[in-house]
Amino acid sequence: MKELFGKLIMNYPYFAAAILFMIGALTVLTRSDLLKKLIGINIMESAIFLIFVAGGNIRGGVAPLLSKANSGAVYVNPLPSALMLTGIVVSVSVTAFALALIVRLHRAYGTIDLQRIAELRSEVAMDDSNHHT
Amino acid sequence: MTATIIPDLPVFVVIAPLFVAFVLPTFARRMRLVEALVILVGILGFLGALYLASLVFAQKGSPLIYSLGGWQAPWGIELKAGNLGALFLLVVTGVSLPVSLFAKGNLAQEVGGKERSARFYVLYLLLGGALAGMAVTNDLFNVFVLVEVVTLSCCGLVSARNHPRAAEAAFKYLIMATLGSTLVMGGIGFIYMITGHLNMEFAARELASIWQHSPHVVWMALSFILVGFGVKAAVFPLHVWLPDAHSTAPSPASAILSGLAVKGYLICLLKFLYNVFGSALMQEFAVDRILVLAGAVAIIAGSILALSQDELKRRLAYSTVAQVGYIVLGLGLLNRQGLAGTLFYLASHAVIKSTLFLAAGAIIAATGKKKVSELSGIGRKMPLTMAAFTIGSLGLIGLPLFSGFVGKWYLLLGSIETGKPLPTVVVIAGSILCATYLLPVIRRAYFEPAPDTTNADWQDPQDPGFSQKLALILLAAIVVLLGVVPGPLLELAKRAAAELLLLQ
Repeated sequence: MKELFGKLIMNYPYFAAAILFMIGALTVLTRSDLLKKLIGINIMESAIFLIFVAGGNIRGGVAPLLSKANSGAVYVNPLPSALMLTGIVVSVSVTAFALALIVRLHRAYGTIDLQRIAELRSEVAMDDSNHHT
Repeated sequence: MTATIIPDLPVFVVIAPLFVAFVLPTFARRMRLVEALVILVGILGFLGALYLASLVFAQKGSPLIYSLGGWQAPWGIELKAGNLGALFLLVVTGVSLPVSLFAKGNLAQEVGGKERSARFYVLYLLLGGALAGMAVTNDLFNVFVLVEVVTLSCCGLVSARNHPRAAEAAFKYLIMATLGSTLVMGGIGFIYMITGHLNMEFAARELASIWQHSPHVVWMALSFILVGFGVKAAVFPLHVWLPDAHSTAPSPASAILSGLAVKGYLICLLKFLYNVFGSALMQEFAVDRILVLAGAVAIIAGSILALSQDELKRRLAYSTVAQVGYIVLGLGLLNRQGLAGTLFYLASHAVIKSTLFLAAGAIIAATGKKKVSELSGIGRKMPLTMAAFTIGSLGLIGLPLFSGFVGKWYLLLGSIETGKPLPTVVVIAGSILCATYLLPVIRRAYFEPAPDTTNADWQDPQDPGFSQKLALILLAAIVVLLGVVPGPLLELAKRAAAELLLLQ
């Protein structure tokens, strides 16, 4: 039991990732504010970045630079970190695009609340149908 | 000279559209040149895909492999054009060429200005290149990058129309799609953690020998991948973003989104399930049963939702949800007939749905009417457009001599082979439901009198211009051609299915 807890505590980055992931998912799914949704997505992505980077890390490992000073040492895996650089770039571009869309929506509706936008839109639709009849 | 180009062909079909996409903005003011370039790339891509397919066909399925940067697998990224890759490349290039011909017609009118249509073409080519990449990639993380390129360009295409509703639909799509790709990235992370490989073949080999040691991680990876691609490919309860996005996009974009982008994600899902996890592991973790069930629910629910839509493009969008169900169901059948049927159905649906969306777009552009109930008598005003729509509808329902029939027939054979009643019944019921939501459109268009033409509300609609007519004729011809002579494509699908199932 003690050993199990020890292992669990040793792997705390994964717990942090799981908690972050849930915070992010909850924010995306329950908030109607567009900016908060976007922040939620970013938190979720950070959780996945953490999983990758933690998976590549080795306790007590050194950076994989080959030199005489650290020959025979344990190297950490640099590949997951490199992959996550790509992941971060992708997440930044998604965020930029989403922000541009939010600006467009704010200009059109004067609000960035998704429920309010839906209300405004149905009002416009009602006006249109009244206009036709 | 050809000898030096052939080994590089898998990479050319991917980078040619990407390269031209980034060059296009420099010619943004010269619309003719932009359109000519887009169509030229489309023709070259199609010829390349055709040549690649004929090579793969002649070699009896031994794939063309290209290592990016000269780094051999497992270190480098590997592109592999085998049976499956060649098949999907043909679908991507074969559908996007007619669609770009159609876009040449009235894109500027639909997106609001020439400058905007130049930007539209940039995204269009990015999407085409990334989809071609999905067909040939053999690397897990490369899949994620391509998925993101497809997602971002799709969202851009959805927001192309200068209308707040387009921005809203694009935002919803972006959030849901990013949720999906985050899950996919997580799944890839779990696979990498236990296998140490990103190359699909190496990861599969490793996974087959070590999965018993960490079944929970395999569970996590499988569920992340399934839900992630499920959101992106709009598998039934996760489809909520699709109707808005696909119906508010400009018509050529709707055609590409419904016809190709969704198929790209399904091909990626298929590669993960069969090339990485393998069919033995799928059975072990009951993924096959989950897929059949999800597909069956999607077919029925999607069709019923489609039936209740009055807006034509929304009806077609919900129909895509139902048709994705067929493909997902087929992925879970785990036998050669069923999988070959799925692949053929995927190809045929890509062509059919593009035909339907383009025809619908032409009708909406000519009449300004978006609703099915307003289309009385349109068959006589726009005979060619409506003929293409009818051919597409009959193909989607799955009548013999149309391409949908061949796919559904093999899906049915595969379902019967499993010995379970559910897929068999659902495949047949889905066809009937499909008829109930598409045939009323045709009946209304041909057999109901047109409203009084003296009414000021009703301009006298006509068939669209030459390039749009050509696009509709080409697509409708492919639907009939694949139904009458399915031979080579079906053979390719059968070989791909055999290859996917033997790789355990």
